[in-house]
Amino acid sequence: MNKKLAVLIAVAVVLVLLIVPNLGLTGYMVRLLAIIFLWIGKTGCWNIVAGYTGYIDFGAVGYFGIGSYVTALLMAKAQVPFLISILIGGIVSGLIAIPIGLPTLRLKGAYFGIATLAFAEAMKQIILEFDKTVGVNFFDGPHGITLPMGPGNLFFYYLGLVVMLAVVGITYWTERSKFGYGLRAIREAEHAAELSGVDTLKAKIEAYVLSAFFLGMIGGIEAYWLTYITPHMVFDVMITIQMVVMALLGGIGTLFGPVVGAAFLTIIYEVLHRDFQYTYAIIVGFIVVAVVLLMPKGIVGTLNMKLRTHRVKQAE
Amino acid sequence: MQLFIQSLITGILLGGVYAAYSAGFSLIFGVMGVVNIFHGELVMLGAFVTYWMFTLLKIDPFLTIPFSLVSMFVFGFLVQRYVINRVVEAPPMISYILTFGIHLIIAYSALWVWTADFRTVTTSYSGFNADIGGIIIPYARLATFGLALVVVAGLYILLHKSDVGRAIQATAQDKEVARLMGVKVHRIYAITFGIGAAITGVAGSLIATYFIIYPQMGLPYTIIAFCVVVLGGMGYIPGALWGGLALGIVQSLTATYFNSGLSGAFSFILLFIMLIVRPAGIVGKGIVE
Amino acid sequence: MTILEGKNVTKYFGALTAVNGVHFSVKRGEILGMIGPNGAGKSTLFNVIAGVYRPDQGEVVLNGKDISGWKPHRICRAGIAKTSQIVQPFTQMTVFENVLVGGLHGKGLPISGATKEAKEILEFVGLGGLVEMPSGSIPVPARRRLELARALATGAEVILLDENMAGLNPTEIEEVLKLLREIRKQGKTLIVVEHIMRAVMGISDRIIVLNYGEKIAEGTPSEVANNEKVIEAYLGAKICFA
Repeated sequence: MNKKLAVLIAVAVVLVLLIVPNLGLTGYMVRLLAIIFLWIGKTGCWNIVAGYTGYIDFGAVGYFGIGSYVTALLMAKAQVPFLISILIGGIVSGLIAIPIGLPTLRLKGAYFGIATLAFAEAMKQIILEFDKTVGVNFFDGPHGITLPMGPGNLFFYYLGLVVMLAVVGITYWTERSKFGYGLRAIREAEHAAELSGVDTLKAKIEAYVLSAFFLGMIGGIEAYWLTYITPHMVFDVMITIQMVVMALLGGIGTLFGPVVGAAFLTIIYEVLHRDFQYTYAIIVGFIVVAVVLLMPKGIVGTLNMKLRTHRVKQAE
Repeated sequence: MQLFIQSLITGILLGGVYAAYSAGFSLIFGVMGVVNIFHGELVMLGAFVTYWMFTLLKIDPFLTIPFSLVSMFVFGFLVQRYVINRVVEAPPMISYILTFGIHLIIAYSALWVWTADFRTVTTSYSGFNADIGGIIIPYARLATFGLALVVVAGLYILLHKSDVGRAIQATAQDKEVARLMGVKVHRIYAITFGIGAAITGVAGSLIATYFIIYPQMGLPYTIIAFCVVVLGGMGYIPGALWGGLALGIVQSLTATYFNSGLSGAFSFILLFIMLIVRPAGIVGKGIVE
Repeated sequence: MTILEGKNVTKYFGALTAVNGVHFSVKRGEILGMIGPNGAGKSTLFNVIAGVYRPDQGEVVLNGKDISGWKPHRICRAGIAKTSQIVQPFTQMTVFENVLVGGLHGKGLPISGATKEAKEILEFVGLGGLVEMPSGSIPVPARRRLELARALATGAEVILLDENMAGLNPTEIEEVLKLLREIRKQGKTLIVVEHIMRAVMGISDRIIVLNYGEKIAEGTPSEVANNEKVIEAYLGAKICFA
């Protein structure tokens, strides 16, 4: 598929998504699409680190939660406007990512996963217990924080669309840039990358902080939409889990993997969760097992591979 | 002072429990390099085997232990042999995503079938404690602590003195060489997983005698097993004891002197620091990739 | 003119002294061979030079600058590239992309410049026909060339070749030697570690010999071949020429 055609299709899709709410889409659909956009955003962020550096982060929700809380606190207690709040939420998440990333990104595989998971869980516990321990009334612990009422679903639809385009766009840029080549080299053979001149620590940190920044902003957006947050809600490990599974299903390390995976899984959830609460999780479990055993590159990844083999065969 | 000793003893007993169900995790990682994310579910399943046998068949929980041992061994063996085996040679990332998928399946199926109700196993002798000079030592916990020692010792003897054990060790050290020496590597993997599942299931059975059990109890246990094994050294079985004790004591003391919620945060912070500063564990004998 | 020197380089691993007080110096445009029995410390020395390990004692000096303990990527950018004994291509990336990484991050070129150079280098080393292949699927001799191409792309002045010719048949070895001579013509300096004596002796201007972490001999290929200590190191006993 040549570049011009791809760009044309992408622009067409975006235009459709822009107009579609005004063409009589039900409130339910608008909300569903907004949810999908935001999941694409979250999964895309996770994919930037896991997909391109190969470091599987199990603590991504930590930054989502930090962003949520920063935004909530600023809006609820200091009346800071929404857009500024989420920006600060993103920045704080990004800043916290530096001292967390520096030590953990030196760890290998499973250890990195456990350390990041520990970070996210610790954040949850800290926010839960902080007020009680220190004796202040800041985070309100398990009681949560209530934000000012926000606009309707349509606002979050467009915001979600912007976020999705931003994350996909950044992933696109990353893939083609010097930065992206460095990241992929790290994923394939970190030692060899270092020997070839890639500053591996810097590249990993940059990807990690970038991802944390956007996750923080998305966390802020969702906090505003939910209007009420508690540590259990915004530091929920299930959020990380869904990001992982969506990326896995769609294809870790591909541009459209998060898009496909997020759309697919969100729709399954919508279909199932009303009737059978637990069936969704069981099905996700089976999807994970099936993908790992049968299609480890995910939907998009496997398609890419078939395409490449086809091209190579044609060239011979 | 008495408060401190009580807290310490509680911590030690707690540590014993931790060690009992973490040893299996360490074994599986040490031999196969698999980080088993559904480890907590093995505890849960063992606990439920005991619960159902006690509730439906009126069998004393301590007598259900052989059943839980055998059934969990079979379960672990089969899951490894037919599912996990396919990814043992793949990069570790794949195996923990896979075991994570299995975690979802087991935990939520259990939730669906057994409902989220909390359950307990209460016998005529539950809640009996030894009282030594004002320090309370629950018998059930003492039994579990004893079991932890038996498990670690037993595992050690199994690994060093039996043929199977030697085959397991050989496989852990260099599977290609083991294969050349006639060891059926994939069978050993399945057996090892079975053993790991069995001892974890038994720990679950004992836990059922004094903790509340419920289908989603697995994940926190998995996380604790991680902590214990990192502290004690991944793949180093006796390390499960050290890690368990360390964690148990830290948690007990934090709960006594601060508050119990914070003990969770402390555990994670401790884990985080350990991973960075000394990934090979307290005694330094863990496997670091 | 000396481009790279090691002064009293020493590296311990716990109780084991892998490299013990090794002095060496390489002139610009020279091909230095390094030989020694297995475990002599050759790879360790390479790793110290390339920055993978920090020397416990002594220093490594490149173009007059002390680079001891610098991070590998910094040493690469300063001008030393190392190939690995066990070839490590960026498997999921194409042959072209592998070399591109070297140009982008080692030499610091923008994408356009690095692209142009990568294509030229691949032609030069004879991989022009495999440019779009996934690097994990090409045969072993091609992978060795790829390591070399990647090292060249980084713009390094000194290339450390760690058993780059292991497992190649005599024809393939001849081709690699021809290539190395071409590379030297371009003004590069090479340090070659090899077990294939014919190859090392044939290509090196000078040779240093390591055994048990120490330098036991240095000189021209023929000097080294007739050196008693070297023969003893390889054969383990004094040979009587009676």
